[in-house]
Amino acid sequence: MNTIAEHIADFLKEYAPFDQLTFQELSEIAANIRVLNLEKNKTLFQINDPLHDCFYMVNSGLINLYAIADAEETILSKCHEGAIFGLRPFFAKNNYMMTAKAREESIVYAIPIAVFRPFVANNAAVLDFLLENFAANSQQTKTSQNLGKSIISDTVFYSDQKAEMQFFQALSYNSNPIVVTADAIVKDVAQLMAETLLNSAIVCENNMPIGMVTHTDMSSKIATGRYTNTVSVDTIMSTPIITVIENVSLAEAQLLMLKNNVTHLCVTQDGTNKSVIKGVISEHDLVIAQANNPGVLIKEIKRSQSSKELKQIRLRLADLIQNSIFKNIPLTHINNIASEINFAIIKRAVELSILDLGSPPARFAWLSIGSQGRKEQLLLTDQDSILIFEDVAAEKYREVKDYFLKLGKKTTLTLEKVGYELCPNGHMGSNMLWCKSLTDWVKQYDAWMNTPGENSNELSSIFFDYELVIGEQKIEDAITNVVFRNAKNNTLFFDFLGNDALRKNSPLSFFKKFIVEEEGIYKDFFDIKTRALMPLVDSARLFALSYDLIGINNTYLRFKQLAITDPKHSEIYLNCAEAFLTLSKFRTLEGLKNDDSGQYINLEEMSKIDKEKLKNALAPMKELEELIKNKFQLTQFS
Amino acid sequence: MLDWLKHINKEHPEFWKTYISKFGSKSKRYVILSTEKTGLNPHNDVLLSISAFAVVNDSILISDSFEAVLLQYKYLHDNQLSNEFIIESKLPKLSEPEAIKAFIEFIENAVLVGHHVDFDVEMFNAALERLGCGRLKNEALDIDIMHRKLHDITDKQFSLDELSQIYKIPISDRNSSSEDAYRTALLFLKLKSRLGIK
Repeated sequence: MNTIAEHIADFLKEYAPFDQLTFQELSEIAANIRVLNLEKNKTLFQINDPLHDCFYMVNSGLINLYAIADAEETILSKCHEGAIFGLRPFFAKNNYMMTAKAREESIVYAIPIAVFRPFVANNAAVLDFLLENFAANSQQTKTSQNLGKSIISDTVFYSDQKAEMQFFQALSYNSNPIVVTADAIVKDVAQLMAETLLNSAIVCENNMPIGMVTHTDMSSKIATGRYTNTVSVDTIMSTPIITVIENVSLAEAQLLMLKNNVTHLCVTQDGTNKSVIKGVISEHDLVIAQANNPGVLIKEIKRSQSSKELKQIRLRLADLIQNSIFKNIPLTHINNIASEINFAIIKRAVELSILDLGSPPARFAWLSIGSQGRKEQLLLTDQDSILIFEDVAAEKYREVKDYFLKLGKKTTLTLEKVGYELCPNGHMGSNMLWCKSLTDWVKQYDAWMNTPGENSNELSSIFFDYELVIGEQKIEDAITNVVFRNAKNNTLFFDFLGNDALRKNSPLSFFKKFIVEEEGIYKDFFDIKTRALMPLVDSARLFALSYDLIGINNTYLRFKQLAITDPKHSEIYLNCAEAFLTLSKFRTLEGLKNDDSGQYINLEEMSKIDKEKLKNALAPMKELEELIKNKFQLTQFS
Repeated sequence: MLDWLKHINKEHPEFWKTYISKFGSKSKRYVILSTEKTGLNPHNDVLLSISAFAVVNDSILISDSFEAVLLQYKYLHDNQLSNEFIIESKLPKLSEPEAIKAFIEFIENAVLVGHHVDFDVEMFNAALERLGCGRLKNEALDIDIMHRKLHDITDKQFSLDELSQIYKIPISDRNSSSEDAYRTALLFLKLKSRLGIK
């Protein structure tokens, strides 16, 4: 027995479908594996290449799968460590339908089909797994509940076909409906529906469905006073119940609903109302099946019960953002939607913590700060937040603070599971320093603004971009008042902010060349975040505070508003607003390409035109810098 | 100095004749090898274990591999060393002549690749001499030299761990000659594509 084969078997064991096999079987497979090293951008197989005699699994690195439509490469899927791809030879005889290319230098295991096939034949679970993933299109793959470490990617349908394909796809629906008997009391049924957050209940007799009670019945027959809520449920149910067979397609379900003018369908084993109930399809399920529609995402967030579900939704948000950008939907619009969804996720995370810990002992406000507070977070970046609770009597203070610290910890952990990394600087509501009573926060802001630089507490400007996520609006207003009261004629503070904004390294050298990273893993990459975006963000904040622009946190909107408030320099502001959008777009695209925060841009991969665009977007900052120097007469610190 | 004269009419073992006869054509197969040895002196030191993987068409064939622990009881006894690791090892255990014979049959006319492969080749030559055979005829490539050639470095040698770090190959905590051979094989694939060797 070969030592290395054993190591490979150890690796395989971690991932589906190999986790279904015994170690003995895995060793046998591992002993016949070939190991390939793919340099960056090397193509493993192309569309129309004859099939290889093996399928592949990523050991390290990143492989992208592309389909080509209209002479354009579309990314179908990204395969990370442990992902399986190139399953086509298993099921089909014709040539490859996609291209696999190494996005980074990668090591890939080639698993010969001939060796693996016997295990598939003998193990139904493995076969199901492979089939399911081979047939699934990318959208389903990502939304499926299969949260295992790997997502098998073998997508052969690309966007053009998707719309038609999904029309005939099987629907996923609630297979755990509320079932009540005909003599149940309406009040109890309503209570049950409220608890489970479902809007329908099936009424049955001898396990056969006879009718359905929905929100509509409740509001039109109970809330109007036609019946009291103590009657039995069969008086108000809608009959006859429309039943369908288990694997009904989207199109069919939609037709049935329209034809019968109902919002819910009951799924039974053989499709008649004389068999066992299998589940219920609601209009909501149809909408979900159709698109990653933002409204649907938010609705789902509100219903989700665990970080796992939230994570699924966040993944779909990434899809939504990617699609929107490729469809050239204005970035401001995407920003708005993305931040609404992000907020909904955070809000739900806080709510879930509250459900766990019991209701809070005092009123509070959970504020997102930094990029989330500015509503500019498209990619998964770290979480920044603060927690403010109202002042309580001194003897209760400890207890209250304890509660909110726990709340903060629980929430940040949930969010971490969803995929938002913890803030490396600890700017989070779970931190002792940033979970305080209102009075303490007022003091904190006073100290920051009136004696900046003192107390060594380096002034972190992200605290001046905040947005209420959940809690009392009044608390946020109180902080806003403090900030703007202190900002009035506070030269020292503006000096500090101004210097902070200008201190960032310039993006271009004297000869108009990009200044790139000199060392580290991002050597020769352009740091778009610190060199290009941060100066704009910082300056926008500086001007917004000095012009009393209350309640506008978004950098783009701040510049737009500034152009109105300070018409003399409106051109500069408008240029900056545009530049900001362009730069954000570059960053987002880079981030989507590499699945990271997009902070570093690889200039080598950019086309000449894009490079020029990027350079042009850097130009307005120079003028803005001059404006800052003139307006705030930065002297005390410089 | 005139050693070769002594051997000129000597009859070689059968496996060696087969080996020699393979060199008519050039091989596309690479054999990546790594050994454990008691030291670097080919005449006083001995091989303790041999591991090798074949690389064909830019892929490592896990099935086409060679692993053996050599039972050097005499050497260990003479030097009063423990033979604990031999007993514990699960690898096939062979005496030196058996192991060398099996290895020669495994490598055939492939190109040998290793880290500081010259020492390994010398060790094999010494062992082959003891069996009454000639010297290895295979071409040999050294990944350290390949790396230095790629970067035009002449004044420095790199250890296997350093190279693994440079090319971001995870270093396993399990230390064995198979482990080293596998890492060497990965390094070889990376260097090969960078240097454009066919």
